[in-house]
Order: sequence, then C-alpha cells, then structure tokens
Amino acid sequence: MRHVLALMKKEFLQLQRDPRLIGYIIMAPVVLLILFGLALKLEPENVKMAYVDRDQSMFSELIKTNIWNEGYFQLYEVADEAAIIRDIRDGRARAGLYIDGNFSAELTDNKQPTVHMYVDGTMPSLATAMDNKKAAITDDKVSSQMYFLEPDSENITIAPEPFLLDMQILFNPEKRETWFFLPGVIGVLIMQVALILTGTAIVREKENNTLEQLIVSPITRIEFILGKILPYVLIAFADFYFILALGWLLFDLPMPASHMSLFGLGLVYVSGLIALGLVISTLSQTQQQAIFLSIFVLIPSILLSGFIFPIEAMPTYIQPVAYLLPFTYFVEIIRGLLIKGSDLAVLVPAYAALAGFAAVFIAISIIRFRKTLG
Amino acid sequence: MTGIIETEGVTKRFAGVPAVDGVSLSVSSGEIFGLLGPNAAGKSTMIRLLAGILNIDGGSARVLGHDLVIEREKIKSEIGYVAQSFALYPELTVAENLEFYSAIYTPISREKQQLLLKQFGLQRFAAQRAGLLSGGYKRRLSIACALAHDPQLIFLDEPTAGIDPVTRRELWERFYELAALGKTLFVTTHYMEEAERCNRLAFLHRGRVVAEGTLATIISSFTGHSVYSVASAHNAALAAGLLAMPEVLLLNQFGDRLRVITDSSLTPESLQRVVRRHCDAAIELVEPDIEDVFMALTHERGRK
Ligand SMILES: Nc1ncnc2c1ncn2[C@@H]1O[C@H](COP(=O)(O)OP(=O)(O)OP(=O)(O)O)[C@@H](O)[C@H]1O
Ligand SMILES: [Mg+2]
Repeated sequence: MRHVLALMKKEFLQLQRDPRLIGYIIMAPVVLLILFGLALKLEPENVKMAYVDRDQSMFSELIKTNIWNEGYFQLYEVADEAAIIRDIRDGRARAGLYIDGNFSAELTDNKQPTVHMYVDGTMPSLATAMDNKKAAITDDKVSSQMYFLEPDSENITIAPEPFLLDMQILFNPEKRETWFFLPGVIGVLIMQVALILTGTAIVREKENNTLEQLIVSPITRIEFILGKILPYVLIAFADFYFILALGWLLFDLPMPASHMSLFGLGLVYVSGLIALGLVISTLSQTQQQAIFLSIFVLIPSILLSGFIFPIEAMPTYIQPVAYLLPFTYFVEIIRGLLIKGSDLAVLVPAYAALAGFAAVFIAISIIRFRKTLG
Repeated sequence: MTGIIETEGVTKRFAGVPAVDGVSLSVSSGEIFGLLGPNAAGKSTMIRLLAGILNIDGGSARVLGHDLVIEREKIKSEIGYVAQSFALYPELTVAENLEFYSAIYTPISREKQQLLLKQFGLQRFAAQRAGLLSGGYKRRLSIACALAHDPQLIFLDEPTAGIDPVTRRELWERFYELAALGKTLFVTTHYMEEAERCNRLAFLHRGRVVAEGTLATIISSFTGHSVYSVASAHNAALAAGLLAMPEVLLLNQFGDRLRVITDSSLTPESLQRVVRRHCDAAIELVEPDIEDVFMALTHERGRK
C-alpha cells in the first residue's frame, strides 16, 4: 500500500506540473457540453411544413390558419401524401400535414375524423416541440368553432373532441428530447478524459525509460496498476460531477431520484474506463498509438451505443457490438436515472455489466503489465 | 565467499539473433566488475538480464544467491540499476525524484535524502525540475536514485558516458566508497582508463566473453601479438602500406605516434623496411596496453 501511495503522489505531481493538461480536463467538457447542449436545445423556428388539404373546407382552412398563427411553421402545399414523406426525407420539410377529403363530412357527422401530422424524427428537439404544439392545434379555439355545427341535434352524442390529431414521427420512432442526449454527452466527455489520461499513463513511463526502473523495483504488478488507476479514477470522478453540475445549472438537467445510484454509476463507469485506458496503455508503445486506440474506442461508443441511434434500429449483426461497449450501459442507466425515472431494479443488469467491465479490464491490465520487458 | 553473480551460459536472443551468447561470469562480493565491449556487444542486454528486466533464453544465473529465473522478486529490493539512458521523471524536481525512488523501496529519511543529494553535488538543484538538469547532473541524479535504498549490488550501465573528467573522477570516488562498504558494483564502460579502475574485467564481443580476469592477467594473456609505436603523424600511404602486410592486424593513430598491432611472427626488421618505404620514422616495440588488447580482441574476431 505504501508503494501505491508513492505512485499516486508521483502521478498527481506530474499532472500538477502540466497546467495545460489540467486546463483541458476542465475546459474541454465545459466547451463541449455547452456546444452540445445548445445544439440540441435550440428551439427550431420557421419549420417548413408540407401539407395536403383534400377537404378544402372552412374547417380544414381553420386548422391550417391555427397552425400558421402559432408562428412556428411555414406551410406549403404539395400534391399528395407521398410527397410529404419525400419532402421530409429529403430535408425540404421538417413536418407535414394531411387532411383527408371527407374531413368536414365526418366532422359534421360527429365521426371524429383524424388529421395526420408528420414530424422529422432526426431533429429530436422538434419532436418534443411538436408535442407541445399539438395541444395548441386542437385547442378549444378550433374545437369550439367545430362543435357549433349542429348544436341542436339532441340525438347525436358529441365526442369529447371533434377531431383527432395523429402525430407520426418519421425516421426516429423513439421520441427524442434535449435531455435524451445530454446525459449521454456527459458519458462521452468522461470517456474522453479517462481514456486519454490513462491511455498514456504507462506509455509515458516507457518513453521516459522510467518503466525499467519500476520493473527493477520490488513494486508488484497489482500495486503498480492500483497506483496508476486510483489517481485517475479520482480525477475522472470529480470531472463526472463537474459536468453533471454544469448540466444541472445550464441545461435544467433533471435530478436523479436516487443520488446513491448516480454515485454508484459514476464509480463503476469511471473505474471501468480508467482500467480500459490502462489496457490501451499496455498495448501501446508510444503516446500516439495510445491516443489512436482511445479514439478507436470512442467513436464506436458514440455511434453504436444507442446514444444516437436506437440499438433496436441497428442491423442485428451490429447489435452485439453495442453490448460490448461500456458506454451502452452507461447511457441506459443515466437515461433511466435522470429522464425516465426508472426503477433501480430495472437497471441492475446494466450496473452489473459495467462492474463486470471494470473487473475484466483491471484484470487484463494486471496480466498484460508484465514485470519484464521481454 | 561465493559469487554475488554467477552465470552459466546465459543467452538472450532478439528475434532469433543472439545479443548475449553463452556468457559465464563470476563476480564476487565487494568488487567493482567492469564489462567492456564495443557498441552492440550486448553489455546493456547483459545488465538488463541480471537486473531481471529481461528474461533469459538459455543458461542459468544466480544473483545474490537467488536463482534469477525462479526467485527474481527476492533479488529486487537488494539491487540498484542505473540505466544507460536517463530514467527520471522530468516534471518532478530533483528532490521529488529521489523521494519517489526511495519510496518504492524502503523509504529513507529526509536527512538521508539530503545526504545523498549532497554526496552527488545536487543540493543546490534540489528544487529544480529533473528535465532541466544538464546531462552530467541527470546522470548524478540517476545514480543517487539507484542508491537511495542502499542496495547490495549496483548495476551501472555506462555511468560515466558523456561526463567530464573531473566529475568522472568524483563518481569513481563514490564507487570506491561503496565498494569499501562491501557493495558490489557491476559497471559497463567504453573508457579504457576506467577499465583500469575496475578490480576485474570481462570483454564482451558479439555477445560472447572474449577475455576475463584482472587487467594484468588479461594483458599478460594477450600472446601471439606485438605492439609497435611508430613515430609518425597521420600518413595515408604509410597506413595503406602497413595494412597490406598480412601480419598487421590494425593501426591506431595517436597524434604523431602510430600504434601498430601485429602478429608476433612479424619481425621488427620487416616492419621497419615497410615503414622506411614511406617515411623515416623510428619504430619501437612497446608493452601492449588495455586499449591494444581491446582493439585486437574485438577486431580479430570481427575479421574472421
Ligand atoms: N529490445 C531489443 N529488441 C531487439 N534487439 C535488441 C533489443 N535490445 C538490444 N537489442 C540488440 O542487441 C544487441 C546488443 O545490444 P546492447 O544494447 O546490449 O549493446 P551494448 O553493448 O549495450 O551497446 P552500447 O555500447 O551501444 O550501449 C544490439 O544488436 C541491439 O540492437
Ligand atoms: Mg549499452
């Protein structure tokens, strides 16, 4: 243990002597979080909406006017329903509106016709925004004018709402919110700090020739690995809460129901990544190689973890890759904790997976770090 | 007293090519043992094998009475190792480096650390970053760090390379002090004058030991060769003429004297004849010195 403390002290001294690196550890997450936060939060304006109005009645006109008046959408007419989908797919429109030919007829018959809306799911914030607008479109102002139709017919039971609005999210059936991304962003930032810091931790000793001195010393492999892991676990863990705090302050990130669960998540996730960083370090001869390998882990983590695209939507032969990435479980847990308010019991397997990764990576780094060079 | 280091046919191959090839050595307690050899002879590899950094491919070795392969970890706290290249943390100060290297063994008191810094003339740099020291002071610090845990056996891989003569003498003073305390030093060097400072020597060439013993025994066993000194400054024609003789092994120019190492079958008269052809220089049969032996041993085998 004394050896571990000596190593830890040395690591901290080395870090302390590299003020620029400390700057990166603090500033990179701030800049990136704000960037991501803003990019994913911006309220869309002037959203183009392609519409087809087969009804051409005063009622359909009323709906369109109401949408216009929201000051949010710009409507333009297209030929048919297929054209709506096509325009959204090609990015000419972000939303669509389809009013069927017998809308007013059904309305007057009190048959509760449906108006169809389409939203481009690849703009996550739009889907959320549309959800909020939905109420405005079907609100009393419109509805009351439609109830007017046959005020005296007593033998007709009036439906609670004169018409229904069916909103279909295209290309991204799972509805996304700003928050949907932000917790994942935290995980990405931690991953960057953890992998790069530790990825180079052993390599630096190789490049300094100091590894030989450690090898001839009586330090054991376990002491060595612990002395390397612990300082960086502390740093990355502090960074985890630092970034969370920024999210809470700047982006109204929800609080978790259980702070203990969040703490536990931070601990297993950070330990796993730091250990993975060490594995990378034992595999690398130069710092360049270590950074290359770190990025090699980082990119699939971002793309294949369900952070951006839902895992279910990925081809089945790719899906196993997602389950080999610690980040996948992190995303699942942190979304569960901060957004969905999931029951802890549901998240237990994901916690177990993260803890398993941490244990395996630590074991691999201890095995890989031999006390000889050849 | 049995040997502090006993090796038997130690071999190390890199990608099939032997760097150390069947080396058998014996180093006894309290001596300064010098390992000599040209570049790539395998000196550093030998030290790294004995210090347990590299694994032996063949042969066996005992260090401090422990088997190098089986009981490697038992040896570690008793040995010190100064690598050929600096192994310091450049971001840490001189004092912090020393403190760290002592802490990973049995930590020593501040006073002892101060004393070590003083012994190596490092006190006034104590608060300076190791990366900013000059080469010679980095070397001093490396040695001080390797001594912090008071090892019984110290491996020094070219401890005086790139060191000025005054500092070199100071370092050797320290080495003698250590040896007087009963420590064993295993040193590699390229300096012939340093070979003379060692108690015993081994010449390594292409991974093999080509001579071993005290300086005197090595020189006296250097038979079959004669060394002549020719009073001539550099003369290309003379050199070419001499090298054309099958008995001339090699030449070594020192200012206005040329040293000629020949097979002892060559008579002084025939050498004189050839020299006369080029200049009017006197030749003189001299005692071989360590450098002659070193050159001849490593050269001869190079030609074969
Ligand atoms: N890790 C290694 N991998 C491959 N080859 C190596 C390795 N270490 C040394 N060698 C080779 O082994 C041979 C002996 O090298 P070594 O460093 O032991 O020589 P040396 O006697 O210390 O030379 P110098 O006087 O230049 O320091 C060289 O040919 C070198 O290229
Ligand atoms: Mg060497």
